Amino acid sequence: MNNYKITIVHLYPDLLNLYGDKGNIECLRKRLNWRNIDTEVILYTAENENFDFSAADIIFLGGGSDREMEIVCESLKSKKEELSDFIEAGGTFIALCGGYPMLGEYYQTSEKTIEGIGILNIKTDFLDGNRVTGNVILECDNISHPIVGFENHVGKTNIESYTPFGKVIKGGGNDGKGGYEGIIYKNLTATYLHGPLFPKNPQLCDRILLQALKTKYSDYVELPLLDDELELKANKYMVNRG
Amino acid sequence: MRRIFAIWAAKLSAIAGIILGKKASSGPGAIALKICPDLIKQLKKDIKYDVIVTCGTNGKTTTNNLLYAALTKSGYKVVCNKVGANMLTGVATAFAMECSWLGRLKADYACLEVDEAYTIKVFNHINPDVVVVTNLFRDQLDRYGEIETTMDIMKKAFENADYPCLVLNGDDPVSSGFGRNYKGKTFYYGIGEKVLPQTDDTKEGRFCMSCGTEQTYNYYHYSQLGDWLCPGCGVKRPSIDFEAKNVDIADGLKFSVDGKQFQLNYRGFYNIYNVLAVYSAINCIDIKIKSFNALLEDYKPQIGRMEEINLGKPFILNLAKNPAGFNQAISTVIQDSRRKDVIIAVNDKPSDGMDVSWLWDVNFEELEKSNLNTLSTSGMRRYDLALRFKYTDVKVDKITDNIKDAILACRKTDAEVCYVLVNYTMLFSTENILLDLQKEQGRDDA
Repeated sequence: MNNYKITIVHLYPDLLNLYGDKGNIECLRKRLNWRNIDTEVILYTAENENFDFSAADIIFLGGGSDREMEIVCESLKSKKEELSDFIEAGGTFIALCGGYPMLGEYYQTSEKTIEGIGILNIKTDFLDGNRVTGNVILECDNISHPIVGFENHVGKTNIESYTPFGKVIKGGGNDGKGGYEGIIYKNLTATYLHGPLFPKNPQLCDRILLQALKTKYSDYVELPLLDDELELKANKYMVNRG
Repeated sequence: MRRIFAIWAAKLSAIAGIILGKKASSGPGAIALKICPDLIKQLKKDIKYDVIVTCGTNGKTTTNNLLYAALTKSGYKVVCNKVGANMLTGVATAFAMECSWLGRLKADYACLEVDEAYTIKVFNHINPDVVVVTNLFRDQLDRYGEIETTMDIMKKAFENADYPCLVLNGDDPVSSGFGRNYKGKTFYYGIGEKVLPQTDDTKEGRFCMSCGTEQTYNYYHYSQLGDWLCPGCGVKRPSIDFEAKNVDIADGLKFSVDGKQFQLNYRGFYNIYNVLAVYSAINCIDIKIKSFNALLEDYKPQIGRMEEINLGKPFILNLAKNPAGFNQAISTVIQDSRRKDVIIAVNDKPSDGMDVSWLWDVNFEELEKSNLNTLSTSGMRRYDLALRFKYTDVKVDKITDNIKDAILACRKTDAEVCYVLVNYTMLFSTENILLDLQKEQGRDDA
């Protein structure tokens, strides 16, 4: 190992455990380890809510069922300042699935409106009609392979003047009708794409890892390349299926 | 008259299907319902005794077919959707096929497997007297939304059906909840002792459905099943009416209920639940059954439930559709100490569930402990599977879109046995390949 180390904080993995987020954490960890960079994964739960977020390099927030999302949202509201400071200072934050609308002012389900954590000025209204479900293909700036993933949401998110994460080639995206998907803000990446997003999108994973390394180590410039033949095959297979 | 037309149309379409080599499942019923929308309602009146419905995430086909076998072997006439077509059309097919060409139905019981999400729709046509619920696990989320959504649908269905008698798995903190404050009768079954090594498995239903606190366990079977208790609100495993004790899984499955000994010749701890569910259903409405043990002895699990096909060495085919099913299959593979090849194949067609995120919630890395010789992945999501293994440091030897290639390769290795774990739409094609190879082998031997 060299002297680099990245601390990943996984928010409430015990509550938000519906969609194989283990795949994302394992992918972050492995891709660092394969480059001889040390990692520590902290499982942030109700038992260690006193954890100091300034010790984190990457914070990960996934998705879960409506009920459990609400419990998490309520708990994280009390951490709004700390999380906001972390993001404003260039901390690397990943929000997937329901974790994305939760960061905004509010989000709606079929039953009610829930006040979000309020870190971002985005609003998510209940999408009338059907749940937006299916495979998604996006085009993202500075990533040469398309982003492939899966979405399953009932919200349409108004991202105001934020930069979107990607352009929808296939799928529903922020408004459920195509157009754009997710947002990018400083070193925060938020998207409806859920579950194991990183394994089939190695360049996205590396972009996020590089953000975290550069933020922590001013001398860090470039990640060594890995053999991504299998990852890119899996990616291409989904793209070709259309 | 419409009824007779409907039945003729269904029967003829089924015959046409057989000529074309298709299995009669939903198609004939769909035609019959178009011609006579209240066909099932009319025919329900001709069921002499009870309508027993089985639903739940895993084990419903096995449970329903075993119940059917128990009833028919005891001399009853039974309507049953044996092929597992478990939406309204599949139920209609079962009824139409059981009728005479004059449109008459003579049956003592109906035992029907019904998809959880379709319970309201099906119960609008036929009120069940008894509903057996096997369990509720996370499965096919893109189709159903979430477990809570599925539960709401089922609760509404029970209410609409005027509160049928429920036979529930008391070990499941999720689905046993249907029994709390229920206006009808309820019976519970469960496994009343620690059997398996206590692991930290995917407990998708580990938070109390009433208050959200994490449940604790005195002992734990798999997924969220066990002797559970919520420290938050005090809700706990209900008192069990039909409880398996003295469980022995070393060689086949042995256990006792109320002092009666039962024995099965096939693998898989979860099969105890299927047998218990059937035993409970039969006893709760007091159906007279000939020897239950003789029945278990004769009963062959249907296609792809640890189905053994010999190709010079045993190939064991198993269907698994979700994390709970796969984790159980993997635990069965590990319990077999022989040197083995493993083939895993996953598709993502609509009936499989198009979202394969759950692959990361399966303890695939455990396979490394299973005296593994070679590992192959196949199916539409073969690359996702291979990546899943890559990121847990398990070597994949072969990735192929043609599962037959993987099977042929495993036939040549010096491993003693090959496990083939597949999800739903891979099942029938894989079984056909294995059976064809077995036939070819028979010819070569002769």
